[in-house]
Amino acid sequence: MSAVSRPVVALLVSLTIYCAVLGPFTAYMKQKPIEEKLGYLPSINVLRYASADHKELVGASLVMKVIMYFGGIAEKQQANVIVQPPDYKGMSGMLHGAVKLDPYNMDAYYFAQSFLTWEVKQYKLANDLLDYGMKYRTWDWMLPFFAGFNSAYFIKDYKKASEYYKRAGELSGSDLSKLLAGRYMQESGQTDLAITYLSAMEKGERNPAVKKNYQTRLTAFQEVRRIELARDSFLASGGTLPVSVDNLVRSGLLSPPPADPYGGQFYLEANGKVATTSKFAFAGAKKATTQNAGETR
Amino acid sequence: MLSIVTITLKGIFRDRIFQGIMVLSVLFIFIPSVASLSMRQVTELSTTLSLSLISFIMLLLAIFLGATSIWKDIERRYTFSVLSLPVSRSTYLVGRFLGIAIFMLIAALFLGSAAIVSIKIASLTYPPARPLLWSAIITSIVFDALKYIIVVAVAMTLATVSTSFFLPVFGAISTFLAGTVTQQVYDYLQTPSAQAAVSVVVRKSALVLYYLLPNLSGFDLKVHAIYAIPLNTQGLLLSAVYFLIYIGIVLSVGALLFARREMK
Repeated sequence: MSAVSRPVVALLVSLTIYCAVLGPFTAYMKQKPIEEKLGYLPSINVLRYASADHKELVGASLVMKVIMYFGGIAEKQQANVIVQPPDYKGMSGMLHGAVKLDPYNMDAYYFAQSFLTWEVKQYKLANDLLDYGMKYRTWDWMLPFFAGFNSAYFIKDYKKASEYYKRAGELSGSDLSKLLAGRYMQESGQTDLAITYLSAMEKGERNPAVKKNYQTRLTAFQEVRRIELARDSFLASGGTLPVSVDNLVRSGLLSPPPADPYGGQFYLEANGKVATTSKFAFAGAKKATTQNAGETR
Repeated sequence: MLSIVTITLKGIFRDRIFQGIMVLSVLFIFIPSVASLSMRQVTELSTTLSLSLISFIMLLLAIFLGATSIWKDIERRYTFSVLSLPVSRSTYLVGRFLGIAIFMLIAALFLGSAAIVSIKIASLTYPPARPLLWSAIITSIVFDALKYIIVVAVAMTLATVSTSFFLPVFGAISTFLAGTVTQQVYDYLQTPSAQAAVSVVVRKSALVLYYLLPNLSGFDLKVHAIYAIPLNTQGLLLSAVYFLIYIGIVLSVGALLFARREMK
C-alpha cells in the first residue's frame, strides 16, 4: 500500500465508523431525560473567579441553559407527555447565580419572575431578587412593575405595591403602572389585576414556550373572571351565593360553560371564591385526576 | 527600532495569523441569530457575545505571539544575526514588543468593526430598551486590546529568561487569570468578615500580589458597553496611565534580564 493511499483508507474507514456511530449517538442524546439537562452548578464564587473577564457571558449562558431546560419541559407538558415537574429549585439557583455574575442581566429577572411567583409561590424570594436588580438596573421600569404586581396580588401589601408602581410609572411614563397603582389596590380587583398583568406580559413575550405559558394562564383567569361576573349577578338577583359552577350554568348566567385550560374543574369555595382543581398548573390537574381515580376505586 | 517593528509585523502577516483571525471573524455573522434566543435583551446578548469573542481571540493572540516571538528567535538562532548588527538587546526586545502591540491594535480594529456590524444588525432587528452607547462599545474594545498588550509584555519578559516556551505560555495564562481576579480578592479582603477570617500574613501576601500583578479588571468595560452605562473619564485616564507605566516597568525588567542572558 502506497504512502498516499494509507491515510486515504484510514480516513474512509474512520468516516464510515463515524457515520455508523453518529445515528445511535444522536438518538441517545435526544432521548436523554430532560431532567438531566439542567446539570450541576458549581459554587458561584468559584465561577466568578474562573470566568475571568467573561462574567457576562457565563451569566448569559446560565440563563440560556435554564430557558432551554424549561422550554423543553413546557413543550412536553403542552403535548401531554408525562415528564417530571421542572426542577424549580435548581432553576432558581442558576438564575440567582447568573445575577451574581451579571447583576444587569434582564433575562434572569424576567424569567425568575415568571416561575418563582405563579409556579413556586416564592413571592418574597422573587421580590428580593427584583429589589437586588433594581439597585443596578436603575432605569428599568419592568422590575418595579413586577415587584408591584407581586406585592399587590400575592403578598397583599398594597402600600408597598403602590410604591413599586409609582416608581415603575415614573420610569416608564406609561399609564399602565399608574392605572395598576390606583385601580387595583383592593381585594375585589385581584382577577382584573392578574388579567391586566398577564395580558401585558403575554403581549411582550417572544419566547414561544413562555408565551404559551402566559396565554394558558391568561385564558384561565379570563374564565375565572367570567365565573365571578356570573356569581355576582346570581347574588344580586337571588340574594344568595350559588352553590356550584353548574348552578350558574343551569341558571343561564354562564354560557358557554367555563373550561380550565390546565385540564381541571372550576368550583366555588364556601365564601364564593372561584377555584380550580388544577390549581392553575398542568401538574395540579394530573394530581387531581389521580386523586379522583383513587377515590372512585 | 523601526525596522525591527516592521520585520515583526511582516513576520506575523507572513505567518498568516491575520487570515486566521479573518476566518474566526465569520463567527460574528451567527451572533445576531444566537442572541435572538434571549427573551428581553437580544442586543445586549449580541454585544456580550461579540465582546467575549473579541476577548477570546485577543487572549489567544497575546499568549502565542507574546510567548513564542523571542523564544522562536532564540531557538532558530535569528537573535545572533540580529544582535550582531548595531542593535542593542533592549531595542530588539522593545521593537519586537511594539510590532506585536501594533498587530494587536490592528486585530482589535478589524474584530471591533465586525462586532459593530453584528451589534448594529441585532439592534435593528430587536431594538434595545436603552439606546446603544457606541462610545462605550468602542472604548471597551480599545481597552480590551490594552489589557492583552499587557499580557504580551508579561509573556515576552518571561520569554527573555526561559529556555522553553512553557514558562512564557503558562506564565502568561496564569498572569492573565490572576490579573482578572486580583481586584475581587482585594475587595473581599477589605470586608469585615475577611478581616476576621483571614490571617494577617495571608492578607499582606495578597496585598503584595495585588500591587505586583497587573490589575486587568480596570480594562474590562464590557458591562458599560453591554448595558449602555456611561463611562468614567477620570477612571479611563487613570487606567491608560496605569497601562503605560506597567508596560514600562515590565519591559524594563525584561530588558535587564535579556541583557544578562547568555546565548550559546
